[in-house]
Amino acid sequence: MFCPHFLLRRKFVPYFEGSLGGESVKRVEQHLVDCEPCRHLFVRLRAGHQMAQRLQRIVPVASESPDFAVLMAAAAAPRREWASGWQDWREHLATPRVVTVLTTLVIVQLALLVVSNRGVLLGERSRVAIDSSTLDLGEFRQISIDDLKSNTQPHVATDGYVYDVHTDAEEGTVAFKLAGSPNAPKQFVVCEIMTRMPAPRDGDHVRVYGVARYDAQTDRKWYEVNPVLNIASLK
Amino acid sequence: MAGGGAQPIQDSSSGAVSSELDRERVVAAQGGDAGAFRELYEAYRDRIYSLVVYSIGDPSQTQDVLQTVFFKIFRGLRSFRFESSLSTWIYRIAHNECQDHHRRRSAPHVPLEAILGSGDEIDGRPASDDQHAQQERETIIRQALMQLPFKMREVVVLKYVEGLSYEEMSKALGCAPGTVASRLNRALAALEERLRPFAGLL
Repeated sequence: MFCPHFLLRRKFVPYFEGSLGGESVKRVEQHLVDCEPCRHLFVRLRAGHQMAQRLQRIVPVASESPDFAVLMAAAAAPRREWASGWQDWREHLATPRVVTVLTTLVIVQLALLVVSNRGVLLGERSRVAIDSSTLDLGEFRQISIDDLKSNTQPHVATDGYVYDVHTDAEEGTVAFKLAGSPNAPKQFVVCEIMTRMPAPRDGDHVRVYGVARYDAQTDRKWYEVNPVLNIASLK
Repeated sequence: MAGGGAQPIQDSSSGAVSSELDRERVVAAQGGDAGAFRELYEAYRDRIYSLVVYSIGDPSQTQDVLQTVFFKIFRGLRSFRFESSLSTWIYRIAHNECQDHHRRRSAPHVPLEAILGSGDEIDGRPASDDQHAQQERETIIRQALMQLPFKMREVVVLKYVEGLSYEEMSKALGCAPGTVASRLNRALAALEERLRPFAGLL
């Protein structure tokens, strides 16, 4: 069974450390009484936490430390000298012939990627569907992408067209952009799936259910739906 | 609370004292004081070494990465303006370098015994049974950790070895505190899964 209370699960480690406030402690404990999947995860994380606490810093022996004098000398050297190797390579690579070959390779790779994804994803179309057995979709505020900026509700449902689907295999996440129109979108919202939900594909017209938030990281500063809790296909 | 406001890194010395010392050293180093550079190097050498070894997992590559990290720290120190704490800035540089190294390397990570034996070289005295058992346990846990993907390994090391808060990890890794918390949960669950067969020994 899927439990949508991911924010509460993020409090498990602070709970183990005893650094949660009284109200949060109560909420975690109350939820654990009621939720079997979270109880199971809680036990696993507690074991992982206890094991990780035994890890120690790896201390270098003298021969493994970089020579301070060498580092200082390198840092004091003119920047051009330090970077010359890379710059020489760049100069060699930036010839018209190399650029043409690389561009051709990139185009061929992109074409292959599009063709292979079409084949795989055509069979997955039906997987993008409402799974209302685990979520009360009526709790999500229906809102347009443009209005996300002024939204104050945590749970939203917003419609749009999917593009730039990106999978991070290591993180186990899928991110995509959702735009109001399929062609030349001017505005979009970033959506991130963190569960094992099937990913949509480029061009899908969908309704995305999830948590609205603002990512204040310096290189981001955008509104997003993260995590996505459900995706429904729209005709 | 672990995920609270930004705080200096907690180490053997008090965080506030460490932070103030860092500031004095940075200002002196920016003025060309080689002694201050050396003090900074010695203050952060072990932390960065540990993070790099845990992160890249390949002793033969550690030296190169470590040198590049310190090189970038020394170079960048001249323009450091205390917009973040020094330690967070340094961890960010180390993280970026380890991540670049990880992206460049195409072969899958293989943990080597050479990493695991480094602790013995510090203290040559025979270990007591208790110490020996403790070392064995840590070795098993470290081996399991080294099998996790790079990003999971890194967040565990920053949290449990370096003692960073969620906020500090978020700045060092360049992602939101919520992402850090989720990633840490996934890492701990993966660690538990790998160590489950050894539960009786640990």
